[in-house]
Amino acid sequence: MFGYLTRKINYYFLKAANDKANFRTNTGSATPVSIIAEPIDKDLSKNIENVKNVMSNSCDLAVHEFCFGYNRKHTGALIYISSLTDRGEIHKHVLNPLMYDSLMLKNNETENMFDIEDIGRSLLSITEYSVIIQLKELIEKLLSGSSILLVHGSTKALAINTIKVETRGVQEPDTESVVRGPREGFNENIKTNISLIRRKLKDPALCIEEMTIGELSNTKVAIVYLKTLANPKIVDEVRKRLSRIKIDAILESGYIEEFIEDAPYSIFSTVSNSEKPDKVASKLLEGRVAILVDGTPFVLMVPMIFAESFQSSEDYYSRPFLSSILRILRIIAFFLSILGPALYVALTVFHQELIPTQLLISVAAGHEKVPFPAILEALLMLIVFDILREAGVRLPSAIGQTISIVGALVLGQAAVEAGLISPIMVIVVATTAISSFAVTPQTDSSTVLRYFYLFLAGIAGGFGVMMGMLITLMHLASLRSFGVPYLWPVAPLNFSALKDVFIRAPIWKMDKRPSALKWDVDLQRQSRNLRPSPEKQEQ
Amino acid sequence: MNVERGKINVTQLFFCVTGFVEGSVLLVNFAVDMTKSQTWMAVLASIAVAIPVIYSYVALATRFPGLNVIQINDIVYGPILGKLISLYYIFFFALTFSFNNRDIGELYKIFIMPDAPMIFFLAAFAVTCAYAVHKGLEPLARVSHIIVAISFTVMLLIFLLLIDIMDFSNFLPLFDVPLISFIHSVHVITAIPFCESIAFLMIFGSLDKTEKAAKYVIWGLISGGFILLNVAVRNTAVLGNTVTIWTSTSFESTRLIDIGTVLTRMDLWIGVIQTILIFFKASLLLYALATSVAQILGLKSYLPILLPLTAIEVILSATVYQSPVDHAMTTQNAGIFYSTPLLYFTPAITLLIAVIRKLPKSKRRKRS
Amino acid sequence: MKNTAVKIATILLMITLLFGCLDGRELSELEIVIGIGIDSADDPDSIKLTAQVVNVSQLGLSGSGGDPDSKPYWNAATTGTTIFEAIRQITHKTGNRLFVPHCEVVIYSKDVAKQGLYKHLDFFLRAIEMRLTSFILIAEGKAGEVLDAKPQTEELPAVNIYNLVKSYGFTSHLYDVTLKEFSSRLISEATAPVAPLIKVVQEGENKDVQVMGLAVFKEDKMIDELNMDETRGLLWVINEVKSGVLIVPTPEESGVAVFEIETAKGKVKPEITDDGKIIMHIDIKLQANLSEQTTAEKLARPEIFEKLQDNMSEVVVQEIMSAYEKSSKTGSDIFGFGDMIHKKYNKKWHEQLEEDWEEIYKTIEFDIKVDSKITKTNLLKNPVTQKLGG
Repeated sequence: MFGYLTRKINYYFLKAANDKANFRTNTGSATPVSIIAEPIDKDLSKNIENVKNVMSNSCDLAVHEFCFGYNRKHTGALIYISSLTDRGEIHKHVLNPLMYDSLMLKNNETENMFDIEDIGRSLLSITEYSVIIQLKELIEKLLSGSSILLVHGSTKALAINTIKVETRGVQEPDTESVVRGPREGFNENIKTNISLIRRKLKDPALCIEEMTIGELSNTKVAIVYLKTLANPKIVDEVRKRLSRIKIDAILESGYIEEFIEDAPYSIFSTVSNSEKPDKVASKLLEGRVAILVDGTPFVLMVPMIFAESFQSSEDYYSRPFLSSILRILRIIAFFLSILGPALYVALTVFHQELIPTQLLISVAAGHEKVPFPAILEALLMLIVFDILREAGVRLPSAIGQTISIVGALVLGQAAVEAGLISPIMVIVVATTAISSFAVTPQTDSSTVLRYFYLFLAGIAGGFGVMMGMLITLMHLASLRSFGVPYLWPVAPLNFSALKDVFIRAPIWKMDKRPSALKWDVDLQRQSRNLRPSPEKQEQ
Repeated sequence: MNVERGKINVTQLFFCVTGFVEGSVLLVNFAVDMTKSQTWMAVLASIAVAIPVIYSYVALATRFPGLNVIQINDIVYGPILGKLISLYYIFFFALTFSFNNRDIGELYKIFIMPDAPMIFFLAAFAVTCAYAVHKGLEPLARVSHIIVAISFTVMLLIFLLLIDIMDFSNFLPLFDVPLISFIHSVHVITAIPFCESIAFLMIFGSLDKTEKAAKYVIWGLISGGFILLNVAVRNTAVLGNTVTIWTSTSFESTRLIDIGTVLTRMDLWIGVIQTILIFFKASLLLYALATSVAQILGLKSYLPILLPLTAIEVILSATVYQSPVDHAMTTQNAGIFYSTPLLYFTPAITLLIAVIRKLPKSKRRKRS
Repeated sequence: MKNTAVKIATILLMITLLFGCLDGRELSELEIVIGIGIDSADDPDSIKLTAQVVNVSQLGLSGSGGDPDSKPYWNAATTGTTIFEAIRQITHKTGNRLFVPHCEVVIYSKDVAKQGLYKHLDFFLRAIEMRLTSFILIAEGKAGEVLDAKPQTEELPAVNIYNLVKSYGFTSHLYDVTLKEFSSRLISEATAPVAPLIKVVQEGENKDVQVMGLAVFKEDKMIDELNMDETRGLLWVINEVKSGVLIVPTPEESGVAVFEIETAKGKVKPEITDDGKIIMHIDIKLQANLSEQTTAEKLARPEIFEKLQDNMSEVVVQEIMSAYEKSSKTGSDIFGFGDMIHKKYNKKWHEQLEEDWEEIYKTIEFDIKVDSKITKTNLLKNPVTQKLGG
């Protein structure tokens, strides 16, 4: 018996060792490092061989060998990845000039056809090209959608930008739709996104720094800021934090967010995001730094303060009164969404004396047939609600609606009638659910907090909730985002900035930039006394 | 080397002192036993008494900018005597924190959740304070004005809601209290809400501008005293002659709010702001305790000893009194013996010796 | 540093888990008490306590669908030597502890009140959960019966009683004495406690409850009663008259004019003259409107108004004096004059008056000024019968 066991164990050890070895060789053969490090050879066929080798003979790799120049005495090759490039452009602006126009050249004029730069200068009718000498560079360009022109006898190659991007148009974003305000939103193309911001801020101070992150994905990431307004320390910090990311791939800006956060274990996000150019532009104007990532419409912005969660871009486009009321409502909604079930449990289980008599009697009447304790009841309802939400989000909108109707109406109604849930509980959870959508930037933190407070309320009632609130408050007060206190301007207090927190003051009143992000710039963003008033009569 | 590196500014100090003084609002009760309906006068008198005493604290701190009291003691009294006097401070901080922790325990045990074990409240509250202290002085100072603003609003609101049933003839007859009880009462009020701010001697060192501290501390004291006064006036005006029978007058008076049968049970709010205020005060005390112990042990940071200290404090507060009656009796009577020398005289004497020995001169030159 | 945070979080979690749920009581375990009645029991040393418990599941159903015989409340009664003992005894019947924070009325039967209330009051003040704003009442008969008289519009008798007392202002014929007010009067050296009276009236098949008048206590023992007018006499002085009906004879004595009190303000100033006499200066400002008249004459004339106002003042003075006379018989200072003097003449109070205030109370002199004003005559300028009168 022991023999069998030892054999088995030996077998597994051997297997594990083998797997490891296999894994290593596999990754090793995928990118032959030795070839990639080489410069471009004079021999065209060797170059083609190398490229094919590196690209593992991928089926969408197109290699077009051709002769050109006077009497077609030169041979060259155009290499591109057919799935990434625009073929019409290649034909029209690369192959056509090379194969037909060059025929008309005289003999002596084609002597220097080996000089690849000359081809680019005199023959190609395309705007963007670059000269490359390394094979590594060649592969990178090839993969990002360029066509590579190789000429026999030249140690240089031309990378011609013939990229074709499959992308959505500029559409209205789903997550931040507005009634009043620009409808455009970012899309997955970083070029488009930068252009959208450029169009909002036509100022030479708008700096765009590009870098590539991701060993395999080579994702383009751009740091965008206004040189005159952004604090250079914050920009440096962003640069530093971005450059230390070493990862296989960046598929979405969320990856970046998690690498540059100040408090990775905090449930509160210290990096804000948006898919609306106007919002990003307004943040840039307050001295923030935006981080654009290719392949996602979500743009990151740092530093973030807590109060931003309650602001919406539309607040600034509609008149201040409604906006102010909405602000306050959002704050109330946030508290409702985190405290709703917890307060219900604390009140009905621990502090019944605080409920007015009539209300208590009707609540008790509703709870009479419910077999569960209040905490379990609340937990059940919350979990069912979160499942409903999750199911609704992932489904096509038509089915999603059905789900929500089945969930909310049928299930809720039936559960109450069956005596599983008390009607008040349904009201509480429904209110909580609706409230949690009013403050979308804090949805994840409010969901966690809701369960946290519910747990505390179930154990220690009001005392538990109080302690939880105090801990949350202290946690928030200790958070910083890129050096800016998270609760600014409430804690530490900054009176002049408070007019954009609980209310939204008229725009002509908010004539200062937020001072938390300040360094040595002039905070005045508009002249004072811009309040509209009737023209003074001159006498 | 100072164990704290965070800096706070004088405005935050103002709010800290206000919040700290307000943290003892419930304890006005202790004075009610002695001065009955004249407690408001005792509060006014204690503000007057406390101002010079607390000025001596600030003066000591401004003479040694950037230093906390443990360092000051070492400089003024030398390493051995200085350590002994520092131990007296630590003893006071430890006891005061345990009393405040006990206050929360009794608040919940008596008024809110009578069936729960007291030790639960003590432990949970102390750990919450430890969490706040662990975050450092800066976050605490940063939220101080929020805490003060909330308590001001609630106090004002309760006052307005009760104004309908207040009877200001309840203050009459004036001067119906024997002088000795009056002095006793003034002492209790001076010592507990006001002079416990001796804990700020551990905090003054973290100020960015120590020179300006005096003005802000005194104003903080006065505005905190204003809240105490408001509470004393409210309770007497509302409860009249019954003011002496209740365990907690604040609770009983707010329980009387009954407006349209909807705005009732406002004692909830007393519970809420009491918890917040005592949390703030206790956190500052725990901070003072942790930093002073770390300083005296020569540690670089107080974080390693924070949790052990909290555990000791929980045990201390669980065993320090047997019942609220015991608590009240001790505070009113025994308090004189253990805390009076420290609160009224020690900082003043330290200051005096420093002046005589012209002490901080070399230090100041080094800093500048 | 992160380490400490994790430790603190762990400790917090451990603390909470260690203690589990603290003292939560689910709603279905609650026996919500909305009224308590206290009667004397057969055994002279003990009392019979009736707690009105809400029968939650029957509430709101009694009219439709539900069993018509089952009541939305349950009067659980038990006997015990003290209140707290009795309240705990009831758990033998209810299975759960009584939940008293919502108890809105505490009713003592007259014979209990006559033996002294103090020993039956302490619990209600000491209990954490009781509201100081609960009303205290004295039942003419059995307190248990009062709590059992099912009202026609309300579903719960105790709530009904609460509303009856709460709306005393319509007549000002009783006074809403809360536990706080009662204990405040009980503590005072001079002031005598009062409490409204309640009784069951048989109206055909139905039993109705009715509140009117006040019970007067000496220390904690009930010794006297005030009728409706005497009660209002007391209320004038302590400035608690909210509204009410004043019936005033017309100047020609041909009928009465009925006034609705709009606002009333009473102020008392004690004075001790040099020769030791105590004079209470009572100043009452009263505004009323003419709501009804039984004569045909046109009352809405300035000169008649003047006379009517004088008559009205006379009615008020009579009410006050009747209340004083009634209370002076037993020497119980229901107005709190003693405390007023204490507040103003602190020294003299302690030296001369405190000891035998009861006797001195009987010798107080009054200086009553009533300033009545008729502010409106409602919709009529002239009575419909004016023609007949000529």
